Amino acid sequence: MMSHIMPGAEPFFLPGNRVGCLLAHGFTATPQEVHEMGIYLNQQGYTVLGVRLFGHGTRWQDLARSKWVDWLGSVEDGVHLLSHACDQIVPIGLSTGAMLNLILASRMRFPALVAMATPYDLPAIPALQVLYPILPLLKWILPAYKKGKPDWRDAEAWMARVQYDRYPLAAVYEFGKCAQALQRALPLVTSPLLLLHSLEDNFVLPEHTERIAANVASSDVRVQYVQNSNHVISSDAARQEVFALTATFIQAILAA
Amino acid sequence: MRIKPGGEPFFHIGNQLGCLLVHGFPGAPLEMAWLGDALRQRGFTVLGIRLFGHATEPPDLLRVHASDWLAGLEDGYHLLRGHCSKIVLIGFSLGGILSATIASALELDGLVLMAMPMDLPLLAHRLRPFLPLLRHVWPYRTPPQGSDWWDKEAEAQNLHYTVQPIQAVGQFFDLIQRLPTSLAQVRVPTLLLYSKNDGSVPIEHGSRALDALATEAKELVWIDGSGHNLARDAQRHQVFQLVGDFVHKVGMPV
Repeated sequence: MMSHIMPGAEPFFLPGNRVGCLLAHGFTATPQEVHEMGIYLNQQGYTVLGVRLFGHGTRWQDLARSKWVDWLGSVEDGVHLLSHACDQIVPIGLSTGAMLNLILASRMRFPALVAMATPYDLPAIPALQVLYPILPLLKWILPAYKKGKPDWRDAEAWMARVQYDRYPLAAVYEFGKCAQALQRALPLVTSPLLLLHSLEDNFVLPEHTERIAANVASSDVRVQYVQNSNHVISSDAARQEVFALTATFIQAILAA
Repeated sequence: MRIKPGGEPFFHIGNQLGCLLVHGFPGAPLEMAWLGDALRQRGFTVLGIRLFGHATEPPDLLRVHASDWLAGLEDGYHLLRGHCSKIVLIGFSLGGILSATIASALELDGLVLMAMPMDLPLLAHRLRPFLPLLRHVWPYRTPPQGSDWWDKEAEAQNLHYTVQPIQAVGQFFDLIQRLPTSLAQVRVPTLLLYSKNDGSVPIEHGSRALDALATEAKELVWIDGSGHNLARDAQRHQVFQLVGDFVHKVGMPV
């Protein structure tokens, strides 16, 4: 019997104090893209758990079978797993991981939440906007499409990346449904928020973060932009700045 | 929230000896929760996973592949590895089948298989080739009524689906077909627990599992006065003791 999880895509747990950071990765990616961030936060003393979203880090066909609520179930699992070791849980997510965390936060309040490069809606790719309604049909002809040229600033980080090399169309459709659920959820979110986004993110534009900030009910919403990074700000060249902003925010909120 | 109350996975941090608990089909982590508490009280670290499609809604299991469950076991293993130097895998029923299947891919210090079926009824064999088509017109099977529980109070608290999605039954079947091969690759000390009064697993499955195991360090213990749900039913305290002693024996000192 071989392992089912791609090498390097394993979920991770780093024991620490009674504050638990729950790390959730993005669409078609794996826990690897938030692993270094987890190590950084653990060095600050926090307990860290990085979940593997359902259908990710195995085979893209598994993702093609999955529903967005399966991904939500994975994040929920993470909250429960941390709940005995920690008194306070801080969800930290990148992209789809951040959407899922915000949806959870509409149903339970967290002491703090960090959302990185969060889409409010489908990315502004004209073909996607047009074809989205027929994806459930199109997937029978084209089950998945290959990712385009990488736009990473840090070539080494790009090389180390563990992810699927394509987007399953059925899962892209689910992503859209997740965005609709997010839009319904945001007015119910009251947790203190840190929203991080790269000004150079040309996949999910920084305006998405503005719209999220404008739609939540939280009284404490902090927005910080970074530069010199693509969409994956937890892993690309600006990551150290992202880690430090995150740690400073958690420390400030928990001290208050 | 997707997960039903009682369906939450659990993780209790203790010493460096970790117990990974895997529930049955179509059950929930709750099936293993009391055993987890008993092991935690002995100082061990305990993680009880939720198998994909369980403790949410039965339609989730219409999409399941056996690899989803096995990857879920791997997830639990990797999370435990963050704290534990030794790990014992403990599975009940389908959880036992999954544990035995994945055991050779993980670095384990022991294996506990409880009420693990070695075969399914003849009808399942006959129907298996037709399931990929059949499941479209017959998505759910309702298992025959009738209970083998001795502790009716524990039974009333039990959390499971009352229907069995045919897709999941097919995956269950395929895992069972591979089980003799899987058991022949198990090299770690193994404890088998079987109930003498199991309503769903015939008594000879215990000795078949014992024979199929490659490891020399294997033991089969029969439990008297319990139904299939060994970690919940009337003899659970005996089960807690046996499992705890086994974990201690194969894992200590850590």
